Amino acid sequence: MDRRVTFNNKLLPYLLLAPQLAVTLVFFFWPAGQAIQMSVMEQDAFGLSKTFVGLANFKELFADAEYLKTFWRTLIFSGAVAFCALVPALLFAVMAERIVRGATFYRTVLVLPYAIAPAVAGVLWLFMFNPSVGIVAYWLKKMGIDWNPKLDGNDAMILVVMAAAWKQISYNFLFFLAGLQSIPKALLEAASIDGAGEWRKFRTIVFPLLSPTTFFLLVVNIVYAFFDTFGIIDAVTSGGPAKATEVLVYKVYYDGVVALNLGTSSAQSVILMAIVILLTAIQFRYVEKKVHY
Amino acid sequence: MKLFKKMLVATAVGSALVATAMLPTASAQNKPIEIQMWMGLTGLGGETLTKYGEEFNKMQNEYKVTVSFKGQYPEQRAAAVAAFRAGNPPHIMQMFDAGSGDMMGAKNAIVPVSEVFKKAGMQFNAGDFIAPARGYYGTKDGSLLSMPFNVSTAVLFYNKDAFKKAGLDANKPPATWPELIAAAKKVRATNAANCGFTTTWLAWIQLEQFGARHNIGLGTQANGRAGLNAELNFASNPAFVKQVETLVDMQKDKSFDYKGRSNDASASFQNGECAMITQSSGAYGGYIRDAKFDWGVAPLPYWPDAKGGPYATTVGGASLWVFNAPNRSAAEFKGVAKFLDYLKSTAVMSDWAKTTGFLPATNAAFKYLTDEGFYAQNPRAGVAIGTLANGKQGEHTGGYRFGRWTEIRDFYHEEVEKALQGKQTAKEALENAQKRGNAALRQFEKTAVAAN
Repeated sequence: MDRRVTFNNKLLPYLLLAPQLAVTLVFFFWPAGQAIQMSVMEQDAFGLSKTFVGLANFKELFADAEYLKTFWRTLIFSGAVAFCALVPALLFAVMAERIVRGATFYRTVLVLPYAIAPAVAGVLWLFMFNPSVGIVAYWLKKMGIDWNPKLDGNDAMILVVMAAAWKQISYNFLFFLAGLQSIPKALLEAASIDGAGEWRKFRTIVFPLLSPTTFFLLVVNIVYAFFDTFGIIDAVTSGGPAKATEVLVYKVYYDGVVALNLGTSSAQSVILMAIVILLTAIQFRYVEKKVHY
Repeated sequence: MKLFKKMLVATAVGSALVATAMLPTASAQNKPIEIQMWMGLTGLGGETLTKYGEEFNKMQNEYKVTVSFKGQYPEQRAAAVAAFRAGNPPHIMQMFDAGSGDMMGAKNAIVPVSEVFKKAGMQFNAGDFIAPARGYYGTKDGSLLSMPFNVSTAVLFYNKDAFKKAGLDANKPPATWPELIAAAKKVRATNAANCGFTTTWLAWIQLEQFGARHNIGLGTQANGRAGLNAELNFASNPAFVKQVETLVDMQKDKSFDYKGRSNDASASFQNGECAMITQSSGAYGGYIRDAKFDWGVAPLPYWPDAKGGPYATTVGGASLWVFNAPNRSAAEFKGVAKFLDYLKSTAVMSDWAKTTGFLPATNAAFKYLTDEGFYAQNPRAGVAIGTLANGKQGEHTGGYRFGRWTEIRDFYHEEVEKALQGKQTAKEALENAQKRGNAALRQFEKTAVAAN
């Protein structure tokens, strides 16, 4: 007897899907459509005049050497954030995995920073490293290091990378810990019997078996650095000094909200949209198959 | 009979219901008209302005003013623009000085304040406002586009304790740039402070106020006032170049130390790290409360070799703009006029100046405060209004008017930062800022012409 429940009503599935579809349409497709529409227009801030200009906004962007520099800067920034967020997280996870007593306590403490809002994280770092009032800046000065993120572009970049990565370590830590716990103990024991040291076990067994987690986190962290670090950059450096920390997403905000230059800002967000689509496609279509599970 | 009773009761209840239902409708006709005002001030200024709204509401019951904070000026402006596009902008918006050019370019989005008063059949005399503010926010025919409210200008604050420590005369602040440079070097040489001098609001002070003080324009077309086709030309003026060169040179030995954009550098003066700061006069109240040393105020320094000696500085701060919208009634505009009239009354203006440290925007309030002896008792508070209102007026002391100026200020910041980092010369910095600024102006011209 076929016990499968079937619905003959052709309309019902659509009705059931309707709320989700409505949310997607209103909150994703509509704004995205608006962005695309505005990216081919030139208009004043108040929308009193709108002229169709085709791809002129895009052409202008790619002809602008500063915009191309922003691309490179974003790549460097994202790579640095991903690296600084992944390596310590992996280290912490391996260490926390080995702890027997008080393991829950350590894990809780390590996860805590994830609950902090990006702008707050930014302000905390800003205060600690503020050349005038920051405690860390004071220590650096005592050590004879001329720390001035207000004027030195590299100092500013280091500061935003640290602030952005710090927050993400907790998230990565959780995933690494879960990943470590799913590695069969038998394999590690066998390796120990064969005389492998800790480092060799990590390098030849743990790390390769963690690769799906690592890859997933790599993509998530890069996407995070690309799109979610706006709050930190705005609070810490506002993209300065001299554009040293202006990444793509910050430039979208600046051109759109501060400069009220909606055409170029929309064109930039369309470019960002294309990057997200590309990153997601790479993740699903190409690399996921190649990473060993 | 029973039925009749029931019917009677039902009718009674029914009519009672109808009567109660009608009550709110009746009172709705007397409901006060809502007036929305958005501001970009926090702290003391924000609290005081909100208080004025509440006091106005208590004075009358025709209008109900709500003053709300919608984020710092740029965020507030973006929110107001979005609201305007949606057809429902605030009635009044407070807009910072740099945004004025953009507002003036959007003629169909705003109603000039002079006109708001005229429509409401109320007296409004632009001449009531102090001349520099009138020049900045007014038109050639003498009417005002926006109402000056929180007015400030640039001054020099100096740390008297550090001056004494360095062996300088604490009662003789530097009046000129050469004197300031010498004092800053002495502060560094004696290690009286870690940095001699710093500045807030880099473009506003070192470009705009500096220009007014030496009566030099920033661009063509009467500093942008005569037409949207104005071009920036500040890079070709040796005085502006020399000023940036001075800062770059002083940065090398920390007699000048760059502490960031906007108001970031303020903390470095307040904690004693820097002995001098060029700053907005609006910082006065904060230093009274927070600085733990003896300090003084002096007019913005000038170069003695400049033609004609020192001129007046120009206004900064913000003004109040009235938005237009298709659904705005005449009664609403009348309410706006009444509230603005209340804000410009001598009682409010003088209270505002005393409480916040901003300058009085009307002549009457300035006179009231002077007669009352406020400036005699607080000579430090009188310096700013002195350089602004009593300084020598010239062709370029009335300020500039360019679109997209918020962005152009940042071009200047970025390029001068690069010069301070040693990546380009002062001349290159100004040329790049000017080039980028002119590109933005051309784009603004195109959209503004299309909009009007």
